[in-house]
Amino acid sequence: MVVTPSAGATGTSPNPNGPKSGLSAANPRSSDQSSDGQSKRKQAALAEKKSRELENEFKAKHSGVMGVLAWILLLHVAGIYLFTKGFLLTRMVLEDKSTCDVLPFEGILAQPPTALGSKQQKGCWHEKTFDKAVVIIIDALRYDFTVPFASKGESDTVHLFHNNIPVLYETAVENPANAFLLPFIADPPTTTLNRLKGLTTGTLPTFLEAGSNFAGTAIDEDNLVAQLHSAGKNLVHLGDDTWQALFPGYFDTNLTHAYDSFNVWDLHTVDNGVTEHLFPLLRPENSKKWDVIFGHYLGVDHAGHRYGPNHAAMASKLQEMDRVIRDIINALDDNTLLVVMGDHGMDIKGDHGGESDDEVEAALWMYSKRGIFGRTSKDTLLPPQSARDRPVPQIDLVPTLSLLLGMPIPFNNLGSPIEEAFSGTRGNNWANLATVNRLTAAQVKRYQHQYALARGAGDDEESALLWTAAEEEWKSASKGFSSKSTAARASNELFRKYQRHTLDICRGLWAQFDVPSMIQGVVILLTSIVLLVIYARGLKTDRTQLTSRLLQLASVGAGVGAVAGLAFGLTGLTDMSMVDGAVLLSAAGSILGATPALVKKPANLTLPLPTGMWGWLALFFTVSQSIGFASNSYTIWEDEILLFFLTTFGVCAGISSMRQKQTTDRVLGVYHSILFVILGRIASFSRLCREEQMPFCRSTYYASSASSTSAPWQLAIPFLVTLFLPSVVRSFYAGSKSYEGTASLWIGFAFRFGLFVTSLFWILEGADDGEWLPVSKETLKFVRVFLAQFVLALAFAAGTTAYFYAKPCVSINVSKPTEDPNSPPAPIVAGQQQGPRTTVTILGFGNVYGTHFCFLLLNFALAIILMQKPMGQGAIALLLWQILSLLEILDTNSLTMTNSSIGPVILGVLGSFYYFKTGHQATLSSIQWETAFIPLATIQYPWSPIFVILNTFGAQILAAIAVPLTVLWKRPLQTHDRVPASNPNKNPATRILSDVVQAAGTHILYLATINLATTMWAGHLRRHLMLYRIFSPRFMMGSVVLAVVDVVLMIVAVGGVRWSTLSVGEIFGW
Amino acid sequence: MAPDISSAPGASSSTPQAPDEKPSAPPVNILPSLIARIYSIAHPALLLALGATRFEALVANPTKELISTLPWLTLLQIFYVIVCLPPTGSAPSLETSAPAPADVKSSPRSSGPSGAARHGKHGKRKQHANNWACIWSRLLPALLSLSLTFALATPVFTILLVLFGAPLTTHNSETVLCAAHMAVLSATALIYAHGLDRNVWNEVWGIARPADAVWGSALGTCLGAWLGAVPIPLDWDRPWQAFPITILFGAYIGYAVGSLLSRTPLVYGKRVQFTSEGLSETEKKTT
Repeated sequence: MVVTPSAGATGTSPNPNGPKSGLSAANPRSSDQSSDGQSKRKQAALAEKKSRELENEFKAKHSGVMGVLAWILLLHVAGIYLFTKGFLLTRMVLEDKSTCDVLPFEGILAQPPTALGSKQQKGCWHEKTFDKAVVIIIDALRYDFTVPFASKGESDTVHLFHNNIPVLYETAVENPANAFLLPFIADPPTTTLNRLKGLTTGTLPTFLEAGSNFAGTAIDEDNLVAQLHSAGKNLVHLGDDTWQALFPGYFDTNLTHAYDSFNVWDLHTVDNGVTEHLFPLLRPENSKKWDVIFGHYLGVDHAGHRYGPNHAAMASKLQEMDRVIRDIINALDDNTLLVVMGDHGMDIKGDHGGESDDEVEAALWMYSKRGIFGRTSKDTLLPPQSARDRPVPQIDLVPTLSLLLGMPIPFNNLGSPIEEAFSGTRGNNWANLATVNRLTAAQVKRYQHQYALARGAGDDEESALLWTAAEEEWKSASKGFSSKSTAARASNELFRKYQRHTLDICRGLWAQFDVPSMIQGVVILLTSIVLLVIYARGLKTDRTQLTSRLLQLASVGAGVGAVAGLAFGLTGLTDMSMVDGAVLLSAAGSILGATPALVKKPANLTLPLPTGMWGWLALFFTVSQSIGFASNSYTIWEDEILLFFLTTFGVCAGISSMRQKQTTDRVLGVYHSILFVILGRIASFSRLCREEQMPFCRSTYYASSASSTSAPWQLAIPFLVTLFLPSVVRSFYAGSKSYEGTASLWIGFAFRFGLFVTSLFWILEGADDGEWLPVSKETLKFVRVFLAQFVLALAFAAGTTAYFYAKPCVSINVSKPTEDPNSPPAPIVAGQQQGPRTTVTILGFGNVYGTHFCFLLLNFALAIILMQKPMGQGAIALLLWQILSLLEILDTNSLTMTNSSIGPVILGVLGSFYYFKTGHQATLSSIQWETAFIPLATIQYPWSPIFVILNTFGAQILAAIAVPLTVLWKRPLQTHDRVPASNPNKNPATRILSDVVQAAGTHILYLATINLATTMWAGHLRRHLMLYRIFSPRFMMGSVVLAVVDVVLMIVAVGGVRWSTLSVGEIFGW
Repeated sequence: MAPDISSAPGASSSTPQAPDEKPSAPPVNILPSLIARIYSIAHPALLLALGATRFEALVANPTKELISTLPWLTLLQIFYVIVCLPPTGSAPSLETSAPAPADVKSSPRSSGPSGAARHGKHGKRKQHANNWACIWSRLLPALLSLSLTFALATPVFTILLVLFGAPLTTHNSETVLCAAHMAVLSATALIYAHGLDRNVWNEVWGIARPADAVWGSALGTCLGAWLGAVPIPLDWDRPWQAFPITILFGAYIGYAVGSLLSRTPLVYGKRVQFTSEGLSETEKKTT
């Protein structure tokens, strides 16, 4: 029996080993047929045993390398954890509460208890102005929505979000005593949860809380809601259910109605609910039922997330809010204060979370029928034209509202009373202003004192001086009180100055970084990179042989370290907490343990320096990009720089291909190099600009730069992808005659069908956005969710199962030799002279490993494409094409079998590049949260975060899954009887495994270096002006990408190699 | 077993390309005359001086300045190739010990009909007073190379610039003019010295030419332009960071450096290596 791969079977890669290895590989057990039946059976049994041994060895080693990757992941997580702990700002939470009967001044004891009841009647620290309040939060109400549009230049035209909610401005201008409107500046991070904390506690947010947006936790600091609650007020909450998480049990359960806040595709449910339940309460007959209503409208925010501000939906939403506010005004009584505010703004395309100007500039409007508001100067009579004039920090709401309602100021408040609310209708009630500012300043002082005690530090000297001076003025003012003298005014100024000074100090104080912890994190990350360099680039031996020893020593080290860390923590030898100590020492211990396992035999080590142009190029890309992150410009323009790198690689690949001796290699190599470069350049037209890139960048990802929906023409992209992408993939399979077996069903039918359903999904999405179909939104949503879940089931459930059981993409034809004149003369194997010889033609032989593994890539590509907006789908399709093109380049330049670092590194660059091309930036606001609702109608853990990850890091995930292909693509088949005679004991399957894990290690190395660089730069530049805008988000992105890719590489990529190798082994032997 | 793959005989499907060891054209030498030697050194300096003097005007109005300097650059390049370089088809320089078979092989391919004739007369020509024919024999290939530079090399450079990220919808005139400058810098001398010799151009695309003044300056131009992109994204707010300026200056500086450096004995005749035992690191990150 003779096996002859047809001419095309080895495909475009002339593979010298193909024909030879094919001979016995296809049927190793039948190579000796001259012996009698018994010995034959014996032989067969022996071969069977051998191959089972080899298979088991492969499986064991496969689990081993996954263990190594898991260890690397843990090291990364430990390093990132330690750094993050020191880097993200932390603030001590003091449990103290302000109480009604203790004034904040030192030496003033509690009032006689008899006075208490009347105090609560009149107001605690200060005479109250209102009995009741309606606080309406219009989420993401940006300041420029509320003021009349004023053109700043010729290009500045009126947008759809302008002039649609005029009620706030009108009332403030027409009746200044009844209302005022001011810019209301949020402290970043501008997520609703953090803003609500700021708006009720009056203190500054710390960055660590930014991550808890998905699951809010109760506030345990003193806050306005708690004060109102403990004063016996009946509180009602309507709207965004974040309030329930923050203030559990504070609200009247009968009147309160909370709604799911994260369903950003739904513009109306929350708003309709709030309106429906709000107005009955405002009727006179119900006025006794409540004291304070907190209504939280989400429609504007959701319209921003879904459509962007410059959209008709936003205009109509703002008009609706305008009507609502007018109706509330009409229903309001004299004793009720109405507050309308935004908790944050939104950026140019309607998202928020960061600290750009558009995100922090919200609006604050207060209204009262009684007319108590004043302006201290004529200049401030009109609401400011832009948010840059006379802004008030959002924390100022807390003392203002507290004092207006006669509540004590929450203990940890740092805000100041808003002037307009206390200066009297004529704007000259300086005595009152001085009083409220003195109260506030005293509370700030008390808090500062307490905080300094808790920290074990002294009070700030300058603020002490300011305080003393203010008190002096206050005393002189109170002597000649009747004159409302300049002294009151002066003391007011000084108290105010004191408050703002303290605020500045606190901003500085809570930007205290824990440098030792940061350094520990960086050292862990750095040493793990060093180990990875040795493991991935500096070993000559089979990596799978190291596994068991490496893991043993590393886990022993980790165990010892963890115990030591816990012991140190328990005995109190260090300042570190037990957890931190255990994390640090176990990471360090495992590193120490693993080092001897890696470097035991110096003979096995090579200098991990590149040996050729490709290695240097890979190193150059990694290092230069890492250095570039020190500059905010290179961080901002990362997408363009990555394109530059990719084109550089493509040109180098073209040059290298020109040097190939084989004509096919040269032609194919040059063709794919040109293709690679052009595809990258086409993809680069998909852009989502970050604020800092303006004005040199034009967003194309959405319909317009102020939108977050796709243009109608973009809905054609999914159909183009459906039409072309399977054919493109097919052409790469056909190149090695591998479009056989399951491939045609998989690629030609299932993949295409999945893409088609995805296109339908996005058409329905567009129909929903544009209201093209006379179908209810609920029906559309139901159908969409069904379609999306179907695609995901196809990609993950059916796809993975099929991947496990699929045979390699080969087709085996048995034919008489005479019938196949095209096949070259079959070589003759010893002992096979008898009879008419049978020719076995195996199509697709040249790429058995690669084509099978590629199915896994296609499965994930389908799921990731579903999760992208139409423009991003085109980008992911281009990414897939570029990956396949890259594989051909690697093959024609003989880089697949030489373990070159360039393939995995370029995949890393591709992943990063397409991250930007799928509508993302290294900013928090570019996260497309709404994609969690593509396959689901509500938030569901853990699925919703996974979907957002699939959307956000889809490109990196796809690139990571493709990593094994850099060594598997067109890899010649190797079985144990075909390995070089020099190493007869070697199992060729573990050789594959070693190569795969080397490629995976190299890929991780690229991302880990980027992560280390962004981490170090963020730590080093922690006082940089741009820290929170640029360096910190990039650090967070780098860390998350590293962790996600570590997991994907370990579980999907290296894990998937198991089944492709088993599948090949089953057909061709081991 | 991995490294020997490429050298192993290919599968039956691939037809190996005719001669594996190409008779690569030897490095080009500057003509031996005194004026050629002097001017070949002065020329890069002259170009740099041109660039330096026009710097401010270029920053002020790139398009206008690029147009107005292009003729001067072209004239300088024409003058340079005529004075300093042997035109295509003429004998490879005498100093290099070019093997005889290579000579034989290359002569039938030479495009200029007068090539063989001039080959013999090279030594005598200086004595003959027939300077007109001599100049014409150089002016013609120079003009031909110039037309090819504009017709072929400029589009190629334009495409390359766009692929590397030059804007496609704006700055078109700047991109094309920048490409034209780069083409005149790099391609004129290459075409003048080598014509359309396929082997040479295969080597050019593979960055495999031996270093000489012509190749060094061409490679230097590309490398310089590549490096010239580095300062563009920085937020220094300097007017010269606008798109084509740094690339153009990188190209000019790269031209001068490459042209001079490649003539030094240390570099002359060497080739850029892609696989191991390579040259210096910078050389390898070509383009």
